[in-house]
Amino acid sequence: MTGTKKWLSFLVCVFLLTGLLAACGGGGSGGSSSPAASSPSSNQPSASSPAAVSGEKKKLTLWFIDTGKRKELIEETVKEFMDAHPDIEVEAVQIPNDTYKTKLPVAMGGNNPPDLFHSWGGGWLKEFVNAGQVMDLTGRIDPENYLPAAINIATFDGKIYGAPLAMSLTLFFYNKEMFEKNNLQPPKTFDDLLRIVDTFKAQGIAPIAMANKTKWPGALWLIYLANRIGGSDIFTDAFERKGRGFDDPAYVRTGELIQQLVDRGAFINGFNGLDYDTGQSRQFLYTENAVMELQTSSYVTNVRSEMPGFEEKLGIFPFPAVEGGAGNATDLVGGVSPVFSISSKTKYPDEAVELLKAITSKELAQKFADHAGVVTAVKGVEYKDKFAVMMNEYLQQAQFLQPFYDQTLPPEMAELHKDTTQALFGKTITPEEAARQMEDAAKRILDK
Amino acid sequence: MTGDASRIRRQNRLSKGLFLCFFIGPALLVYAVYNIYPIFATFFYSLYEWTGIENTRTFVGFENYARLIRDNIFHRSLGNNILLVFASVLTQIPLGLALALLLQSRIKGMRLFRTVYFLPFLMSTVAIAILWMFIYNPTFGVLNRALADIGLASLQRSWLGEPSTAMWAVIATICWQFTPFYMILLRAGLAGIPEELLEAARIDGCTPWKSFTRITLPLLVPTLVTACVLSTIGSLKYFDLIYVMTEGGPDSATELMATYMYKQAFRQFSMGFASAVSTCMFILAFIVAATILSLDRYRARGGN
Repeated sequence: MTGTKKWLSFLVCVFLLTGLLAACGGGGSGGSSSPAASSPSSNQPSASSPAAVSGEKKKLTLWFIDTGKRKELIEETVKEFMDAHPDIEVEAVQIPNDTYKTKLPVAMGGNNPPDLFHSWGGGWLKEFVNAGQVMDLTGRIDPENYLPAAINIATFDGKIYGAPLAMSLTLFFYNKEMFEKNNLQPPKTFDDLLRIVDTFKAQGIAPIAMANKTKWPGALWLIYLANRIGGSDIFTDAFERKGRGFDDPAYVRTGELIQQLVDRGAFINGFNGLDYDTGQSRQFLYTENAVMELQTSSYVTNVRSEMPGFEEKLGIFPFPAVEGGAGNATDLVGGVSPVFSISSKTKYPDEAVELLKAITSKELAQKFADHAGVVTAVKGVEYKDKFAVMMNEYLQQAQFLQPFYDQTLPPEMAELHKDTTQALFGKTITPEEAARQMEDAAKRILDK
Repeated sequence: MTGDASRIRRQNRLSKGLFLCFFIGPALLVYAVYNIYPIFATFFYSLYEWTGIENTRTFVGFENYARLIRDNIFHRSLGNNILLVFASVLTQIPLGLALALLLQSRIKGMRLFRTVYFLPFLMSTVAIAILWMFIYNPTFGVLNRALADIGLASLQRSWLGEPSTAMWAVIATICWQFTPFYMILLRAGLAGIPEELLEAARIDGCTPWKSFTRITLPLLVPTLVTACVLSTIGSLKYFDLIYVMTEGGPDSATELMATYMYKQAFRQFSMGFASAVSTCMFILAFIVAATILSLDRYRARGGN
């Protein structure tokens, strides 16, 4: 080879090797993060100090899913925490809901979990607890700071595994103006609801919006109807195998009422193919092509960031009673979100507990209530936001808070519950068949 | 003297060999670690029952595979994959070929269309999924609105919401996304056909159709085989669009093996079972690819 050619090929070799080393190095430190597609939605890991100079700083990672105003408030709190603790650096990463559900198990399995992570308590968190991945917080945080229903959802076998920050209540969000124009009041009974449905249907307006591609919005209907028909204990009885099963007549009747609503044309067209996260149901309310939607309380946050002008028309009412049913019309379906837990593999347990207390503190909870229209799980918060005040009232009156089924059931049954419910809405399954499938699964999985 | 010459030859071959290894080495290493190893690891995991989030696993042998064979949803997803294979091969490749031929013609403005036709392939899959979700929206979407405007309102459907139409709607989007790729592939293949052959045929009075079927097509067969292998394997492995557009629903109407595997692994915490699904996919794709390629070799050798 000539001199220049030799040089050239030498340079190429060097580039190749450096490229290889760089790729390996980058991959190594990236560790548990999943490939490019699921990078966190925020532009960069917020709240990490730009010039992390000394290697002496203790590093904590926090994974959360909150968006909009809630994300800002969390990041603010993290920053305050870092200012108060100069020796601790916190990397707070926001990950969208569905991506998060994949990312966390992968991180756990890959032995590279974040120090603090979000969950909704219940069955999903229990999976991680059973796998020995969650730190026992009993004795390290004070459960008296939190609402009993909220802290209980993260307590298993008498041990506390998470601290709650906010509650999520499921209510009807509706267009007050359209109701007024038709002289309608929020329904007290299911028959009232049917009358309202008929009124709007006659005008060619879809009464109820729903985006059920991800299956959980439809499940909200099933949970409420089962509660209103079968009483507060219907789910607990079936789940804990205490007499009634998932094939109880209450569940069958629930399926029938759902299909009655579908047959009546109560819902917008093609709801089983619409995606909630990209706003495909909310757009119906914004454009006044639908009047109401049964959803979780983050609806308010969404309206505020997507169509602030709609907020003055927005009202809320609780799920009506079903005549002849055994349930209380004050019962609420809801969950706790976020619940923050600490990984059992964290290198700095004491610091992690400090951070946990900061992000489930009364101060942050108050800010959540004031700016994000959220009902919090922390005691002692005063509500000024009009929606938060209303929701808090409903919460105070409620004697029972029914958690979402898919947060409590073991994963296989949770998926079956969502699948059968979506099939009920799509009328590809009979109410009896749906109930039977759930009971068969329960016998197989829960009767151990 | 001969001994010396052969020794020198051997030394040359040895040093050449080492030289080659030095260059192939890094790439081969990366390939082995990130491609070969995971295949074996997946098969290894499929023999266990494992949640994927803890360090303990239970050995269950081939029980996951037994469960797979009985599983209705897996059968449905396999059926959907096969449907996708046929739809892809029978749509994307002929369309790609048609577009490639069109691009070759001397119609004015064709160069612009080359870019335009290629655009779908450049878009990110998620962007395409969301775009088409809005197009298929039963109330606001362009498709149903257009049908109403031309008086075919009776054909309106909730495309992604009904089990009967969902799979076809998604297949249409997939074809839209990948046809440009085959257009480019076949265009390259067409470029490899010597101009003189077609000239000679034209001079001899051959009709365009005859020259296409007798000259172009036969010479395109290697490229077409490649296209078939790519399309088939791609369809057997497909995940992206279905996951974003329908998540395998409604009611498992659009479930594919890959989406089923994903749900089992990350929603149901059944990593072992998901690994079994994954291994099945690999074996299927391998068999199909091997069959197509060996059939092609058989044909290339003139049927010997």
